[in-house]
Amino acid sequence: MDLLHALFSDYTLRTVALGAALLGIVGGSLGSYAVLRGQSLIGDAVAHAALPGIAGAFLLTGQMDPLVLMLGAAATGLCAALFVDGTARSTRVPYDSALALMLASFFGLGLVLLTYLQRHAGASQAGLDAFLFGQAAALVMYDVYVMAALGGTALIVMLLFWKELKLLSFDAAFARSVGLPVRVLNGLLTTLLVVAIVIGLQTVGVVLMSAVLIAPAAAARQWTDRLGIMVALAAGIGAATGVTGALISASVRNVPTGPTIVLCMGAVVIASLLLAPQRGVLWRSWQRRFSQAETPSHPPDQNARTPNVATDPTDL
Amino acid sequence: MAADAEPALDIRGLTVAYHDEPVLWDIDLTVPRSTILGIVGPNGAGKTTLLKAVLDLVPIASGRVRVLGDAYAANQNRVGYVPQRGSVDWDFPTNALDVVLMGLYGELGWFRRPGAAEKEKARNALDQVGMLDYADRQISQLSGGQQQRVFLARALVQEADLYLMDEPLQGVDATTERTIIDLLRRLRNQGRTLLVVHHDLSTVREYFDQVLLLNVRAVASGSVETAFTDANVRETYAGGMPA
Repeated sequence: MDLLHALFSDYTLRTVALGAALLGIVGGSLGSYAVLRGQSLIGDAVAHAALPGIAGAFLLTGQMDPLVLMLGAAATGLCAALFVDGTARSTRVPYDSALALMLASFFGLGLVLLTYLQRHAGASQAGLDAFLFGQAAALVMYDVYVMAALGGTALIVMLLFWKELKLLSFDAAFARSVGLPVRVLNGLLTTLLVVAIVIGLQTVGVVLMSAVLIAPAAAARQWTDRLGIMVALAAGIGAATGVTGALISASVRNVPTGPTIVLCMGAVVIASLLLAPQRGVLWRSWQRRFSQAETPSHPPDQNARTPNVATDPTDL
Repeated sequence: MAADAEPALDIRGLTVAYHDEPVLWDIDLTVPRSTILGIVGPNGAGKTTLLKAVLDLVPIASGRVRVLGDAYAANQNRVGYVPQRGSVDWDFPTNALDVVLMGLYGELGWFRRPGAAEKEKARNALDQVGMLDYADRQISQLSGGQQQRVFLARALVQEADLYLMDEPLQGVDATTERTIIDLLRRLRNQGRTLLVVHHDLSTVREYFDQVLLLNVRAVASGSVETAFTDANVRETYAGGMPA
């Protein structure tokens, strides 16, 4: 009860919880597309590649304004995503290798810049190293406003292009054959993902940020077979785990916020993988046992209750 | 009506390469209207690539493709595409009706969502392939043949004049195969033209008006009687007959 009361009265806690809820909503919704397209790791590459952008933006402007840093983060993050795409398309380097290559290169550059800044420009006072693992406690309401404005815009754009992004994710070749500009839509979706990532970096940090995109979406997928519900559910799970993580780290001494949020998300994923009806591991094993027990008493053709169901062993 | 006299598809000297290796080499092909043309050839012969080259989905190294008497871009909305069933993730969270509606996304335009009229069209298409009862079924819960029919329904709502179908009979049972072939003939009799990638040589004579024997080069093309000869089939599958 004290904690809930503090959520509304304590400025720091309220700010952190709001920020965490926002990044959970935006990351969860847009992450759904990354997960469905089998491109979960692009978020990881973009998040790591944001570090040189943050350091570079500070180096160039000397400012700590979140908008300036996010702009830098978005610039290098987008660059990395484009490089991954370009490398995979125009060379024989496979997609996953291109991804690993860009992630390591950009992150390495980020660490070099960060070290340089710490020696020369007092970036440690500026708190730039907090972007590695996030420092939610440092959030102020202005940060939250910036997050809300950017994230809200990204969500509105996602809703406006809902059917196009859905078709792009399901069947890109067909999307082109009906005249959709697939290249442009790809770029749009990547840009939206970049926005979702940069608004969470201050809270969760570049190292763990990809979990915010992947975990709520992966958990939500377990519970529904409709894209709209999945995106809404992922947003809800993202918000709930964000706030829960913020509350836990506020009530236990020396527990960092970002990693706690990620752990909460992980817990929801595990619970969903085990328990969800139809898709959950426990549900399926229970169903198998049930149908095995039933088998001897029925002729085989009547045993299958849904005769046309395709059984896919790789389907989890 | 002058434009209608033009062939449905006219390909001259088409060459497509991946990483400097030719996948299609100097293809010439003319397909008249109201025709079902079967495309057969071994794995890696470039059958899918040929369809994608017509659809402008892969870059063309050289050559020219004319669709319904004009460039593809000018007639894009008159061309329907049925991709290989295995080319998408059927675990995508959506149902059969929704997939069929995707066939209308192009003509709907930006920001408009499918409404009652579109849903009626989609239901009608599902009915034509015998899948109306499965409209609300999650697509991963459909059998291979049912998924194939959903893809066909999605192409039907496009009401195209030229259809490009990549292995629409792959992995379907005998009854479904009948249904699909009947449907293809109905479309042909309405004046539409269909290019169908096919893998079962034993049914080529029965199913198709024309055939293209493809193995990177066009070994032979034309009416089934003249082009689908033992010698041409042997040449196409040189290095091993298909199972």
